[in-house]
Amino acid sequence: MMFHSIRWRLQAWHGVLLTAVVAGFGFTAHRLARAERLRIIDEELQTRAAQLSILPPSIAGNESRLPASVASLFGDTFYFVVWKPDGAVQASSGFVPADLTVPPHTPGQQTHGLRTRGTRREFYRFTQSNRCFLVGRPIDAELAALRRLAWYLTGVGAAVLAFGLLVGWWLATRALKPIAAISAAAETIAAGNLAQRISTAGSDDELNRLARVLNSTFARLETAFAQQARFTADAAHELRTPVAVILTHVQNALASDNLTDEHREAFQACQRAAQRMRRLIESLLKLARLDAGQEPMKRESFDLSQLTHDCVELVRPLANARGIALHCDLPTAPCTGDADLLAEVITNLLTNAIEYNRDHGEVRITARRANANVLLSVTDTGPGISAEDIPHIFERFYRADPSRTQTRDHTGLGLAISKAIVEAHGGTIEVASQPGAGATFTVRLIT
Amino acid sequence: MRLLVVEDEPDLLAGLARALRRAGYAVDTAADGEDGLYKAQAMDYDAIVLDIMLPRLDGWQLLATLRQTKHTPVLMLTARDAMTDRVRGFDTGADDYLVKPFDVAELLARLRALIRRSAGESRVRIEIGNVRIDTAARTVTRDGQPLTLTAREYAVLEYLTLHRGELVTRSVFYEHLFDEREDTLSNLIDVHISNLRRKLGRDFIVTRRGHGYMIPA
Repeated sequence: MMFHSIRWRLQAWHGVLLTAVVAGFGFTAHRLARAERLRIIDEELQTRAAQLSILPPSIAGNESRLPASVASLFGDTFYFVVWKPDGAVQASSGFVPADLTVPPHTPGQQTHGLRTRGTRREFYRFTQSNRCFLVGRPIDAELAALRRLAWYLTGVGAAVLAFGLLVGWWLATRALKPIAAISAAAETIAAGNLAQRISTAGSDDELNRLARVLNSTFARLETAFAQQARFTADAAHELRTPVAVILTHVQNALASDNLTDEHREAFQACQRAAQRMRRLIESLLKLARLDAGQEPMKRESFDLSQLTHDCVELVRPLANARGIALHCDLPTAPCTGDADLLAEVITNLLTNAIEYNRDHGEVRITARRANANVLLSVTDTGPGISAEDIPHIFERFYRADPSRTQTRDHTGLGLAISKAIVEAHGGTIEVASQPGAGATFTVRLIT
Repeated sequence: MRLLVVEDEPDLLAGLARALRRAGYAVDTAADGEDGLYKAQAMDYDAIVLDIMLPRLDGWQLLATLRQTKHTPVLMLTARDAMTDRVRGFDTGADDYLVKPFDVAELLARLRALIRRSAGESRVRIEIGNVRIDTAARTVTRDGQPLTLTAREYAVLEYLTLHRGELVTRSVFYEHLFDEREDTLSNLIDVHISNLRRKLGRDFIVTRRGHGYMIPA
C-alpha cells in the first residue's frame, strides 16, 4: 500500500540514491586516506632500507656499530633484519618481531617488495648476492586512526543521509501538495459538483499549468452538461405544447357523435401516438433532470418491503391477466431515500418482469437487509436476456428485441430511468440472466 | 358556468374552448396576459384556465394582480412541471395545476371539482327532494327516472343547484351561462326555467317576481 504512493516511491529511490552516493564517497575517502598513510610509511621504510644497504657489510652486520645518523633513523618504532644468503640472520635491530620470516624470493635476482603482515608494514630488498635487507614497523596507530576515520565517515554519512531524506520528504510533500489539491477537486467533481475548480494561485509551475488545463476541461465539461440538460429540458418543454394541441383536438374529435369508423380509427391512432409522445417527453425530462442533478429528491425513512408490497398490488391485475403468479418474500427492510422515485423503479421492474414473461409464468420478488444495504430482487421466468444484450440493457432507447418496438407500449427509457434513480440514491442496479432461464434484476440501496 | 381560457397557442386555445363548450360551459378566450387580466377583472367567471408562459403579462403576474381583487378559482396550465414551479403556482394563489399535455377528461374533471369546491359543495351527486343531479355525468334523475335535459337547461339547473338558497337574477344567468360570442338578451332564461319546471316539478324552482329565481336551500 505504502508503495502505491508516489511520495513513498520517490522517497525510496531518493534514499537508495543518496545511500549509494554517500557510501561511495565515504569508501573512496577512506581508501585515499589509507593509501596516503601507507605511501608515507613505505617511503620511510625505503629510506631506512637504502641507508642500511649502502653501509659496508661489516658495519651493517652489527647494530652497535651503526653510525649515529643511521641509528637515529630507526629509533623505537622501526626494526630491521639482514639475512645472509643461507637464511641466517647477519644482523638485526634490538627489537624484532618473533615471527619474522625471510620473504619468498628467486635466488640470483635483485628484487624488492612491500608487505603487510598483521599490524606491521615491511619493506625488503634482495641484493645480487642474495642477502636480504628488511625494514619494518608496526602500524597499529595508523590502522586505529583509519578505523576512527571510517567511523567518523560513517557517522557523517548517516547524518547526511538522514538530512537528505528529511529534505527529500519535505520536497516531495511540497511538490505533491498541488496534486493532493487536484485530486480532492477532481473527487468533488466526480461526485457531481461540476462547479468545483482547482485553485491555481501560486507559481507558474508544471502542476499549476496542469491544474489550469484540468480546470478548463472541467469548465467545458460543466458547460456541456448544463447545455445538454438545458437542451433536453427545453426540447421536451417545447414539445409539450404541440402534443397538448394534438391531444386536445383529437379528444374533442373523438367525443363527437357523428364520426365514421374510418375517422374514429384515424383519430384513435393519433391519440395513441400523442400519448406515447407524452410519456416519452416525461421520461426524457425526468432523465434530463436526473442527469443535471435537478430532480428534487426527498430523504425519508421508509420500509422498502412495504413499498414493494404496494407496487406488487398495483401490478397484480396486469399479472392476473396473463396468469402470472407473483411470489413475494418481503421481511421488513428499512431504507432511506425518495419513496416516490423508488416506487417508480420497483413498478418498472415488476411490469417488465410481467411483460417479458411467458403466460402462466412466475415472478419472484424479495426485499431484505444485507449488512449496511437493502437488496431488492425481481426474478422472472421469461426468455431471459442474451449475453450480448446484458451490457446495454440499461442504455437509453436500447431494445433487446427490436421486433417488439412497435408492439409494446414502452418508451425504451424505463430501465435507464430506473438506473438513474437508483444511482442518484448512491445504489446499484444489476441484471443476471441466462437465455431461456429468466432474468433477475437486483437493486442494492444503502440503508 | 362561464369560464375564461388564457392561452397564447391559438390551436390549443381553440381546442380548449371547443372541449369546454362541448362540456356545456360558456367560454371566453384571451390570447395574451393583458387581455386575460382585463377580462378576468371585468367579469365574475366561475373558473379561469390560465397558461403560465404568456406574452405581455405572464401567468404568475396575471394571477398575482387578479388575487388583489378577485377569488375566482384558477387552474394553471403549463408546460413546466418542476416542483418549485408547482409550489410557486399554489403560493401565488392558484387552485389547481395541470401539466401539458393533459387529457381533456382530466381537465374537465378538475374544473368541475374546482367549481364545486368554490361554491362550497363537496359532493358530486346532489339530491334535492326527489331530484338527483350527478355533476360528473351531467345527468338528472327524478324518482330514479332519468330526465332528458338540453345542455342549456342542465347548465341553468346546475347553476341554481350550486347556488341554492341564493337568489339568481337574470343578469347573473346571462353572465354565467352565455359567453362573449353570444348576444342573447331575450327571454331565453324564462323559457329554460319553464321547461325545467315541467320536467322537475312546478315548485322545484321558486320565482321572485322582478328579481330572479332560486332553489330553496
